[in-house]
Amino acid sequence: MAYISMRFFYPETFELVQHKNLLSIPWGATNTLVLLTSSLTMALAVRAAQMLPMVKNDEEKKIRKSLMNYLLVTCVFAGMFLVIKYVEYTHKIHDGLLPGKFYSYDAWKAQIEDNTFAGVVGEGGELIITEAPQIFFSVYFMMTGVHGLHVLIGVGVILWLYLRAKRGEFNRENFAAVENVGLYWHLVDLIWIFLFPLLYLVQ
Amino acid sequence: MSSHDHAEHHVTPLKVYFGVYFALLFLTIVTVGVSYLGLPPTLSIIVAMVVASIKAFLVSAWFMHLAHDTKFNVLFFVASLWFIAVFFIFTTSDLASRGRVMKAADTFEYRLDKASKAPAVK
Repeated sequence: MAYISMRFFYPETFELVQHKNLLSIPWGATNTLVLLTSSLTMALAVRAAQMLPMVKNDEEKKIRKSLMNYLLVTCVFAGMFLVIKYVEYTHKIHDGLLPGKFYSYDAWKAQIEDNTFAGVVGEGGELIITEAPQIFFSVYFMMTGVHGLHVLIGVGVILWLYLRAKRGEFNRENFAAVENVGLYWHLVDLIWIFLFPLLYLVQ
Repeated sequence: MSSHDHAEHHVTPLKVYFGVYFALLFLTIVTVGVSYLGLPPTLSIIVAMVVASIKAFLVSAWFMHLAHDTKFNVLFFVASLWFIAVFFIFTTSDLASRGRVMKAADTFEYRLDKASKAPAVK
């Protein structure tokens, strides 16, 4: 809702954000690919759990091993996502884009002193100076921050599944925990699928 | 989620998972590519949201198994989407028409807004 209001009230902010490369599309796109891949490995983990035999034989051991590997790989990709997010956050903190009193980005200077930035021209031909980067980045930090928290929680529960799988607690009759964590993980992916174009791409 | 009621559940073939995965990668490239075309804002947000919705459909139908799930779960999913849409549509129509309403009524807020957008003096 805050995002929609911001789009209506300060459409010119997006031009500044994109012109100044305040958000990195390559990093955002890389993160999208990383998260999609982790969603695939999670789906494959659920598939492995669905096929786990009831009896503990060699086949069970083999499939259980693949389940554990898929869970681990999912965690590695989630970790990669968080590392990339950390790199992006570091850049933004360096630019002084944190919300509230930590905000020190000089939007005025960025627009007036930059000859390559044509700016946004209003109805009367006047240059519209946007004061809204801080609003954009407050929304950005809120949305990506809460999403990042969910990724972190996801890493925790996937590791918990890994330990349970290692103990041989799952089989084709009992894999609800794997399936539900899978659903949670795909939801985290779904949210990123919408966040990425809304924050990084759309002008 | 019906693992307790059915001994036999649908195991999706590997090639379906990989097919969906590559479709998702392709759509990501499409949406990033489109963003460099410099489309007008309204069109660019529509394209981005349509592509994101297709991706969301692929993930929910196959990764989340809604395609082979009971119709009741599909109903829940679609109903939640519907209520989110109701929530967004009313707020969006309010925000989109506010300027016109204020202009027509020539309210104090409108005049204040117009004054603040006058050529900048520095």
